[in-house]
Amino acid sequence: MLNQFQRFGYDLFYRGLTSSHGGNMSVRMGDRIVITRTGSMLAHLTEIDLIETGLDEDDSNIMLTSSELVVHRAIYQNTSALAIVHVHPPHAVALSMAVKDAIIPIDSEGSYLFRKIPVVQAETTVGSKDVAKLAAETLRDYKIFMLRGHGCFSIGPVLEEAFQWCSSLEESCKMYYLTRTIQAAQIAVSQEVQENLEYRKHTDDYQNW
Amino acid sequence: MHGWTKRLLRVNLSDGSSVIEQIDEEILHKYLGGRGFGAYLIYTTVPPKTDPLSSENILAFCTGVLTGVRVPTGGRSSMSTLSPLTRTIFDANSGSEFGVRLKWAGFDALVIFGKSSHPVWLEISENGAQIHPADDLWGCEIPEVVSRLKFKNSAVVGIGPAGENMVLFASIADENGRSYARGGVGAVMGSKKLKAIVAHGNQKPGIADLETYKFVNYEAGKMVKASPRTSQGLPKFGTSVLVNLMNTYGVLPTQNFQLGEFEHAEKISGERLRDEFLTKRGACWSCPIGCKRNTKTSREEGEGSEYETIYALGSSLYIDDLETIIEANYLCNRLGMDTISCGATIACAMELAQHGRLNTELRFGRSDLLLQTIEDIAYRRGLGDHIAEGSKRLSDRYGMPETSMQVKGLEFPAYDPRGMQGQGLLYATSNRGACHLRGNMLGPELLGTPKLLDRHISNGKAGILIVLQHTNAVIDSIGMCKFVNFAIGDEYFNRLLTAITGIEYEVQDLQLVGERIWNLERIYNLQAGFSRSDDSLPPRFTSEPLKEGGSAGHVVHLDEMLADYYRFRGWTHEGIPTTKKLTALGLEQLVKERNYA
Repeated sequence: MLNQFQRFGYDLFYRGLTSSHGGNMSVRMGDRIVITRTGSMLAHLTEIDLIETGLDEDDSNIMLTSSELVVHRAIYQNTSALAIVHVHPPHAVALSMAVKDAIIPIDSEGSYLFRKIPVVQAETTVGSKDVAKLAAETLRDYKIFMLRGHGCFSIGPVLEEAFQWCSSLEESCKMYYLTRTIQAAQIAVSQEVQENLEYRKHTDDYQNW
Repeated sequence: MHGWTKRLLRVNLSDGSSVIEQIDEEILHKYLGGRGFGAYLIYTTVPPKTDPLSSENILAFCTGVLTGVRVPTGGRSSMSTLSPLTRTIFDANSGSEFGVRLKWAGFDALVIFGKSSHPVWLEISENGAQIHPADDLWGCEIPEVVSRLKFKNSAVVGIGPAGENMVLFASIADENGRSYARGGVGAVMGSKKLKAIVAHGNQKPGIADLETYKFVNYEAGKMVKASPRTSQGLPKFGTSVLVNLMNTYGVLPTQNFQLGEFEHAEKISGERLRDEFLTKRGACWSCPIGCKRNTKTSREEGEGSEYETIYALGSSLYIDDLETIIEANYLCNRLGMDTISCGATIACAMELAQHGRLNTELRFGRSDLLLQTIEDIAYRRGLGDHIAEGSKRLSDRYGMPETSMQVKGLEFPAYDPRGMQGQGLLYATSNRGACHLRGNMLGPELLGTPKLLDRHISNGKAGILIVLQHTNAVIDSIGMCKFVNFAIGDEYFNRLLTAITGIEYEVQDLQLVGERIWNLERIYNLQAGFSRSDDSLPPRFTSEPLKEGGSAGHVVHLDEMLADYYRFRGWTHEGIPTTKKLTALGLEQLVKERNYA
């Protein structure tokens, strides 16, 4: 298991999805959770950075766990997730502050994988019970969501899948950013093409996915 | 009518009466239809220790909420009963158009109980049931029965001589061999003297939210086209594409699981089947994948063979004559028998002969005896009469139970669990016995769907298997095919359901339904006398490592996985769902009311 945490922790940092000491990951094992230590460096995890605690019940190890434990627990208690990744992908965080309810990918890959990524907000954004409630509700029907101004939480049956959603989300948001930048700066954009050249059908329906 | 018809047709063959009942909407929401609703009907109607071949057992044909709706693979239905082969709660699933026509006749479910004194066939229409004499059909093979009863806009399923003779792995099938195949469901039909059922009607289900339905269906179709499994592998080769793959991994069961690699695999491969026998592709109703094979040998033509059949009638018997395997498949289809249990029980007989326990010419590799043996089974002649009881009873009779490759009495499908730890856990815990269709770990352990896991590691398999078991229970209950899950995931199922029924479903609602169905089936089996000791594997898999091939040196580490599995499920260490778990699933009251124990 350590090997899995190390592999995806390394990738999360070196792909620029989180800062040196930001983000956290966990897996569920029945009524137990293994989660990264508070303040651990995802790119350099060792055995002492993986903390086991209860899914429902506290024990002394909660002194060591990530501050987002409350959110991870709520997600596991309300979904069939077996792995969670939480990071702060910069383009996605920036976009979450510019859109209202959801990020709708405009690139093909993002459109296939997500159709839409809900954006929710809470006043307190770290280790918050409000976020825990929002996360549990949102992830009942989506595999990833953005907490406005903070980061994303994603789920999967294994860490690799939860990692994939974060990675793909950031890529889609970069595409979105680049497209809008090109349009705003009118780089290689002819006068008659000022908006997206749509290649999909049902474009307006993605908002309702 | 949106999704469900909310009507159930109940037919009593003992007195010839029938009645149309309204189904409580809450029950449909909780179990969705298909396998889930079937489990509810068995739980509430058939006491667990009933003789499966008595008049008290029922045949419950249940359509899913999406059966008969134009969604990718929306043509499947279930048949639930108490299995005479396993004595467990059982559902067999089929892509026969019968389920679609039953739904269009205006019924979510057809429940048949009692026993006729003489052969009959049943006609189902929008007005209900009509019972007709079938003395002239009794003894006929299935294609002949169908050709005599079928007319425009109808679908027919029936039993062959195997069902009439109550072979414990007899199937119920249509003219193309699309079967409610496993568990001896055809024997239950035969015990009731019911030869065939014809369904006709044209009440197509309505759609609550047409615009959303079109959008989600469009997106689902895109994903089916985008997946190499559903757009290339299965359409081009059918399921037999797996023969060479599984052989490379060392999990192609050979010589009754004494080997995991077949030296002649190439001769029975999907590639050879395509090059030398395939005439055209086929598909079930509303299926964009099209994995069915229409084939032709030098003597006959028909439908087949699937990967499971090629294993059971081929590698497991050490037979490399693909033409004979295909013709044996046609014969099983005509006589009405599950090819997996049929082949696996013949393999058991061959191993008994190998050890000198059985005095017969049957030996591994004797393809010349295969067709005659299959006929002898269906007509219960000579040794065929003993084989007709399934491998568990056969091996017990000849004093070598370890030669029977089964769990809870159901013979193994075509994946040696010594090369797939999670698959071993699946077989041991499946509510209907050794089955690959209850949460197939082929995806995560070999194909990389949703993600590739180390197939030889046992740690960490319980959690993902449980999720897959629930997803599969849902797919069986909504009326779709599991192959579509190679391309589309849970988020499509709930959105299609919401659009079609008008009732809001979230992904996690469906996981809960899957868990509810799994636990209800488990409770029924516990009340029937099954226990932790039945969540086991034949000793060959836990103590005899494979000697050669891609999985050489491995055995299944079942005990450690099973402990995890019970804990992850919230069951006691004896495998009993706790009251807390039953309450969370909304089953506590039902279990209290109907506790037969």
